[in-house]
Amino acid sequence: MRSFSLFSSCVIALSSFAVAELNLSQPLVSKQVLSSAFTPPQVFKNANLVRNTNLDKAYPRETINVVIENIDSKPQSEYYLPFESGLISRIGGLEVKDKKAAEKGNFKVETVGFGTESSTSTEFYLIHLPIPLAPKEQQTLTITYSVLSAIAPIPAQIAQSAKQYVQYTFSAYTPSAYVTEKQKTKLKFPNAEVPDYTTLPADLNADKKADPQKQGSTFTYGPYNDIPAGAEQFVSVRYEFTKPLTHASMLERDLEVSHWGGNLASEERYWLSNQGASLKNHFSRVEWQKQSYMNPPTSALKALNFALHPGAVDPYFTDDIGNVSTSRFRPGKREASLELKPRYPVFGSWKYSFRVGWNADLSSYLRKLTKGDSYVLKVPFLEGPRIAEGISYARVNVRVVLPEGATNVNYWTSVPLVDSTTGIHKTFMDTVGRTTLTLNAINLSDEFRDRDLIVTYDYPYTAGLRKPVVITLGMFAVFATAWVVGNLDISIGKKKKTT
Amino acid sequence: MSSPLLDVWEAAAASPYHPAVGKDAQFTLGFVLLLISLVLVTVFSLNRSFVNLPLLGVPGSLAFGFGSVFMICAAGVYV
Repeated sequence: MRSFSLFSSCVIALSSFAVAELNLSQPLVSKQVLSSAFTPPQVFKNANLVRNTNLDKAYPRETINVVIENIDSKPQSEYYLPFESGLISRIGGLEVKDKKAAEKGNFKVETVGFGTESSTSTEFYLIHLPIPLAPKEQQTLTITYSVLSAIAPIPAQIAQSAKQYVQYTFSAYTPSAYVTEKQKTKLKFPNAEVPDYTTLPADLNADKKADPQKQGSTFTYGPYNDIPAGAEQFVSVRYEFTKPLTHASMLERDLEVSHWGGNLASEERYWLSNQGASLKNHFSRVEWQKQSYMNPPTSALKALNFALHPGAVDPYFTDDIGNVSTSRFRPGKREASLELKPRYPVFGSWKYSFRVGWNADLSSYLRKLTKGDSYVLKVPFLEGPRIAEGISYARVNVRVVLPEGATNVNYWTSVPLVDSTTGIHKTFMDTVGRTTLTLNAINLSDEFRDRDLIVTYDYPYTAGLRKPVVITLGMFAVFATAWVVGNLDISIGKKKKTT
Repeated sequence: MSSPLLDVWEAAAASPYHPAVGKDAQFTLGFVLLLISLVLVTVFSLNRSFVNLPLLGVPGSLAFGFGSVFMICAAGVYV
C-alpha cells in the first residue's frame, strides 16, 4: 500500500512536467467570431504612420505611431488592426494608447476572428476608441506589441564559439485595414553588422531614394505614399545576434498568502528553450571551459539573474534532478539578487526546465482595509529573470493561493489576460481547501516584469481560526478516546464489587 | 494608470498587515505551547478521570492546536 502511494505520488510529480510539455500547441485566444466574408468598413484612413521595430532583444518589439482620420460621415470608434492568422497567435502584449494622452491608460482591445481557420488568412485586433472620433477629426494612436518566435537563426547550425546570425521577415508596408497616405518603418539593430537585407526598387519609395536607407545600426524602409489597405511587401533582414534566444514555452507562478505565518511564498516553474542556432558538432566541454575565462559573447544561455524585491529570503533553485548548487543569493536593500546558473549551458534548440522559489514578509504586500475583514494584496504579476537580450513567455499561469475561507475575490492588472478563474486548491492542513485565483496570459515578454496585480478579498477572523480549531478538536478526540478506552473494563473473571 | 483597486491599495497605506505573532516568535511560541500540551497530556494520562477530561483535555487540546500551527509555520510550511 505504501509503495503504491509512493509510486502514485511519483507519477503525479512527473506528470506535472509532462502535462506542461503538451501545452505547446496554439494558444487558446478568446475571440469574437465574424463571418468569413467580413472586411473592416473603410471609415478611417491613416494620414501618417511611423513604425519602429526594435531588434535589440530576442523578440522584435514594434511601436506604431499612427495618425488616424475619420473619413466617414458618422463618429466612429472601432479601428481594426490586421495580422496574418499564423502571426496573430504569436503577437504579444498588444497595447494601444492615445499618444497625446498616454496617462489616460490603454484602450480596450480584443481579438476578432472568423468561423473557420481555413477560410481566410487574415485576423484582426479590434481597438475600441474610448471616445468615438468625429468625422474629419484626427487622433494619434501608439500601438505597441512584440512578436514572439519571429527570429530564425540562419545558418541554423553553427560551431560552438561562432557568431550567430538571425533573420527577421516582415512586411515593409505596415499591415493595415485602411489606406495609408504616408508611412515608413525604422529598424533598430543591436549592432551595425547586417550582412543581408532585402533591397526594394527606388520607384516604390516616395523620395525615389535607395530603399532601405542605412544609418549606423538603424535602417529605414520608406517613406511610401498611398498604400492601399491590406498591401504587403515582404522583406527580410539578417543580422548578427550572438546572444541566446531565450523562450519559455510555459511559466507557472504560484503566490501563496499565509496569514498565520505572515508570509508570501512565491514559486516559479519554467520550461525554457533556446531558439538560437543549434550546434554543428558535439558540445566540447574543453572548448567551453577554455573560453569561459575570456567571457566572449555566446549563443548559449549561461546564467539567469533574478532581481527579487527587497526582503526576499530562503531562495531555492531545483530542477528535475534536485537542488542546483550553482546559484548565488545576495540580499540587499534595493533588491535581492538571485543569480542562477543552469546545470549546463543551454545552446540553441536545447531545453532546460527548473523551479525557483522564495519567501517574503507579507506586510509589504498585504494591507487590511479599515472597514470589515477585507484585505488588499499587491504583488508583481511577473518577476522572472532580468537579462539584457530579453526573454519571451508563450504561456504564463499565475496562481494566487489565498487563505482557506477567503471569499469575494476581485482582481485588477494591466497585463492583457486570456482567462481567469477562481477555484479551490487543497494542500497541507486544509479542510475545505484554499481559495485560488488563476490568471492566464499568453505571449508575454520580460517587459511585463513588475506590472502589478492587485487582489482584494474578504477573510473573516473566524475563518482564520479554522486550522487551529480543527487540530484542537482532533486532539480533544484523542483525549476523549483515551478516557473512554481507559475506563473500559476488560478484566477477566467476575467484576469485584467496590464498597 | 489608475483603477479602483489601485485606489483601494493606496487608501489602505496606513494599515499594512502584521500577523499577531511575527516570524521570529513562531518557533518559541509553538514550542512552548506544544510543551504545555505535552505536560497536560502526561498529567491526564496519570489520572484519566471524567473531571480531568475538560480540566486538562480542553487546555491541552487548545495548546496543541495553536502550538502545532505555529510550529508548522516555523518549520517553513506556511499554512
